[in-house]
Amino acid sequence: MRKEFILFVIVLVTISVSACDKLETQFDKNSTNVPYENEDFAMGTIISQRIYDNNAEEISKKVMDKIREIEDKMTINKSGGEIDKLNASAGIDFVELNEDAIYVLEKAKEFSKISNGAFDVMVGPLVKEWGVFSDNPSIPSAKKIEDLLSLVNYEDVIIDKSISKAKLRKKSQVVDLGGIAKGFAGDKAIELYREHKVNSAFINIGGNIVLLGSKPDGSLWKVGVRNPTGPEGTYIGVISAKDKAIVSSGDYQRYFEKDGVRYHHIIDPRTGYPADSGLIGTTVISDLSIDADALSTATFVLGLEKGMDLIEELEGVEAVFITKDKKIYITKGLSSSFKFEDDNNEYEYVEKR
Amino acid sequence: MSMNMLKKGDIILLGIIAAAIVISFAVVSTYKRSGKDTDKVAVIKMKDEIIKSIDLSTVSQPQQIEISGKYIQVILVERGRIRFLDADCPDKICVNTAWLSEKGDMAVCIPNSTMIKIEGQSDKVDAVTH
Repeated sequence: MRKEFILFVIVLVTISVSACDKLETQFDKNSTNVPYENEDFAMGTIISQRIYDNNAEEISKKVMDKIREIEDKMTINKSGGEIDKLNASAGIDFVELNEDAIYVLEKAKEFSKISNGAFDVMVGPLVKEWGVFSDNPSIPSAKKIEDLLSLVNYEDVIIDKSISKAKLRKKSQVVDLGGIAKGFAGDKAIELYREHKVNSAFINIGGNIVLLGSKPDGSLWKVGVRNPTGPEGTYIGVISAKDKAIVSSGDYQRYFEKDGVRYHHIIDPRTGYPADSGLIGTTVISDLSIDADALSTATFVLGLEKGMDLIEELEGVEAVFITKDKKIYITKGLSSSFKFEDDNNEYEYVEKR
Repeated sequence: MSMNMLKKGDIILLGIIAAAIVISFAVVSTYKRSGKDTDKVAVIKMKDEIIKSIDLSTVSQPQQIEISGKYIQVILVERGRIRFLDADCPDKICVNTAWLSEKGDMAVCIPNSTMIKIEGQSDKVDAVTH
């Protein structure tokens, strides 16, 4: 009896240990808890994807194809795209656009309107003149800026949805979707993930982050908010979220220096000069990444007070504001999901205005 | 079944089995955890092509790697860490990113379409918005 008992114990232990081992390997092989990660370059930036799915690699390629297709249609940095044609026909004729371009133009007009022109999809002539995205940026003359300002008016984008066409009212006007196209691409990526039944993934298009679901274990994604004065990759706080788009704008993204003055890439469409609103960074959290993209630019241009007012007016949208004097403000709805983390004690966290 | 049916030797044997189980679990989990820390693989990519993959834990001598595309970049690899050391690109964001040593760390040069990444995921954040 004793011997049988000992034997029984040994057998039991052996079975349970080996079963445990088996389970673990099987889990690793088939489950979607193993992330697939991919990085690639498009839309003038780096695009990272993390997908939890057995078919992840193929899905990530489809997403990249879609993004390149959007880029080709919406870019104004090379010719042949729909938006490029729209600009070329400015003041002359209507141009046929596909439904994506119509949708993005309508969204862009909407955000231009609610931000009172702090975001203006027609900022193109100024962006071109400053050349912030070119190899040779320069400071335009005050006269030049004044002339170009007369071309900046989102109301001059005339959209005729019934015939899927649009037109710019005046000659030399230029639509620039640079502040919104990446946001749109992010939403399209999430659509593709959903079509392929992915439950858990995120895409990072040059810092525009769009989250699908939560992590496979059900926990929330953790997204750092870039420290505007620290090196790349450092952050001043962490947002925990699922199924959200998180997009930032800041003076650290692209800039050039001349005679000791830093000129950053976000041009205030109302003044013609780089936005000088007292902010060095804004982050917007919303359901759609196209919204977050336009609103992060708009709030950066508007500044703390007006930017905060705009965000608080909108349902389901939250934001983080970082001021030049290194104070961090958040909207009310974000207090439970934002965690201030400043290892260098450089910033001051002011929850309320 | 009561314990007094077992002899002293049997109890010792059971004790040994129990101890062996506990020790083996401890060893396995320690081994797994240490693997997590030391097994750092840096991947150098240009566009979507992997140029080089380096296990940083096995680097014995510092070495430099030059990549040429539109711009020329020099990468420095040391044991456990890697960085862009120098580049003739305009912004030098890649160089300013400095050392990469943790899983998920990444340095990117957009004008040259190159990047270095340490494979795996950071425990701290999944991504950083900028």
